[in-house]
Parts: sequence; structure tokens; C-alpha cells
Amino acid sequence: MASSQSNALNWFLHRITGTFLVFMLITHFWVQHYDHQVASVTHEVVTEKNEMPEYPEEAKEGVKARFGPDAEATPYQVVMQRLADPVYAFLWKGFNVLFLIVALHHGFYGLNNVMTDYIRNPMGRLIASVLSWTVALGLFIIGTYSVITAGW
Amino acid sequence: MAVDTRERPPKASSKDAATAEQESRFQRYRIRTGMFAWMMHRLTGVGLVVYLIIHIWGLTALTDPETFNALIAKYHSPIFKVGEFALLVAVAYHAMNGLRIVLIDLLGWSPKQKRLFATLGAVTLLIILVGGWPSIYALGEWLFGPGSMPSLFL
Repeated sequence: MASSQSNALNWFLHRITGTFLVFMLITHFWVQHYDHQVASVTHEVVTEKNEMPEYPEEAKEGVKARFGPDAEATPYQVVMQRLADPVYAFLWKGFNVLFLIVALHHGFYGLNNVMTDYIRNPMGRLIASVLSWTVALGLFIIGTYSVITAGW
Repeated sequence: MAVDTRERPPKASSKDAATAEQESRFQRYRIRTGMFAWMMHRLTGVGLVVYLIIHIWGLTALTDPETFNALIAKYHSPIFKVGEFALLVAVAYHAMNGLRIVLIDLLGWSPKQKRLFATLGAVTLLIILVGGWPSIYALGEWLFGPGSMPSLFL
């Protein structure tokens, strides 16, 4: 049966994408939460409406160096300084598109495994599978759009 | 993986088939360590897919500076800091248990699985403590006032 062959491939791919995701997530977490210059999420709680998180000195200096002495370190500007360098922007966008594909494949293949465990009706399985992969495709399109157009 | 229904058709009697279907949908097993690990893997996995959907959808805000600033400011509210920590716990558990599965499936580490389980459990705890410190620190500073938390490596 052709489908059992492709399932074996997907089973193997699931382990490969999972292993890749561990390394990609470490990079993602480091950039988003720990690097003082480019992390967009800071270590503080903001409760007031319209209040912005306070960024570290490294981030403020980075934004000023890129966008002039009057530039403020807002969340958007902190992300934009990452994309200001064209070579880095290309690498960053490439990484994120790859990350998006790997994460979506891993997540939705896993979700399909879970669904086939509880849905016994073949037609129900087909519907669940088609629906979930449609959602994945939709997320791939909007995600890629966000990554490519960021900073335009 | 699921049991294929076409290869295991329901019993002849329609009454029996109905009850078999009912019982088999959520099979009851004795819950031992491995089973508990599998259940948690599944639970965190489904949770992470839900998070992935929200995350990708939320990042469409990147096309507009004002919307993006408002979104990131919201991510700094107390409830999101708690959520951030819960996300790390789910990710750390799913990643390390997944790594355990890969090492057993692809490298044949099943003879060493007890030690593997304990080692990865310790690594998971370390990831949660070190990686989760920024969230705990932020919540502590907010709850007990500025300067009340040691900044450590931050």
C-alpha cells in the first residue's frame, strides 16, 4: 500500500524535524529573549495601557546607531535593527521561513497522528486530515508573508 | 500509531460492535512512567500546535509598527509572563522527551533508557530553571517591587 510507505517516511521525518527544531528553538529563544541588543521581549512586567517595555542600553544604542540619535527603542524598532543589515536580514528571513516549514510539518503531522488515534471513521479521518493540512498551508502562507514583508 | 480499522473490523454482532467502539476510543491502560511520559508528550504537543497557530497569526502584526508595539507590550503583561513560563515548561518537556524517543528509535539507546530518562529529566529541569528565570524575575520584580529579585545572569 502506497500510503503505508509514505507514513514510514513521515515517521522518520517527524524525528528529523523534531531534532532540527530543538536547535532552531534554542536560536529563536536566544534571539527573542536573551540577547540584550536584539531581544524583543524584556525581563519586566508592563501593566499600564500604552506603556512600552523598557529596553536594555545595548538595544537603545543599537537602534540609535541604525536609525539616528532621535530613534526610540520601541519593540518594532528593536526588531527592525536586526533587519537593517541586508545580509543579516536575508539570513534571518531564510532561517525563519525554514523554521516555519519545519515547525508546521512537525506540529501538524503530530496532530494528525493524535487525530487518527481517536477518529475511527475513515471519512472522518480524511476530513480531519484535509482540514488540518489546509490550516497548516494557510499558516505557511501568512507566516511567509509576515517574514518576507517585515521591514518593508 | 493508530490501529487500522480496515485491518481489524468490528465484531459481527452490531450490539457488541457498538460497545467495542465506545470502549476502544479511549483505551484504559495501567499508567506507568513511560505511559505518563507518552500522555504528557501528546498533551504538550497538542498545546504547542495551538500555540503555534496563535503565534503565527499574531505575528501578522509585524506589517504595522503601531499594532506590533501594542502586541509586544501586551506580551509583557503578568498573565503573558506566566504563559511564557508555561510555554517554556511545555517546550522543554516536549523537546527532551522527543530527544529521548529519537535516541531510542534511531540510535538504539533502549538498553540505557533508565539512565537516559534520569539524565534528560535533570536537563529538562535545568532548562526550565535557567530559561524560565527571566519570566520569574519579571513577575517577582512586579509583585515585590524593583530590586527585590537577584538579577543573576540576566
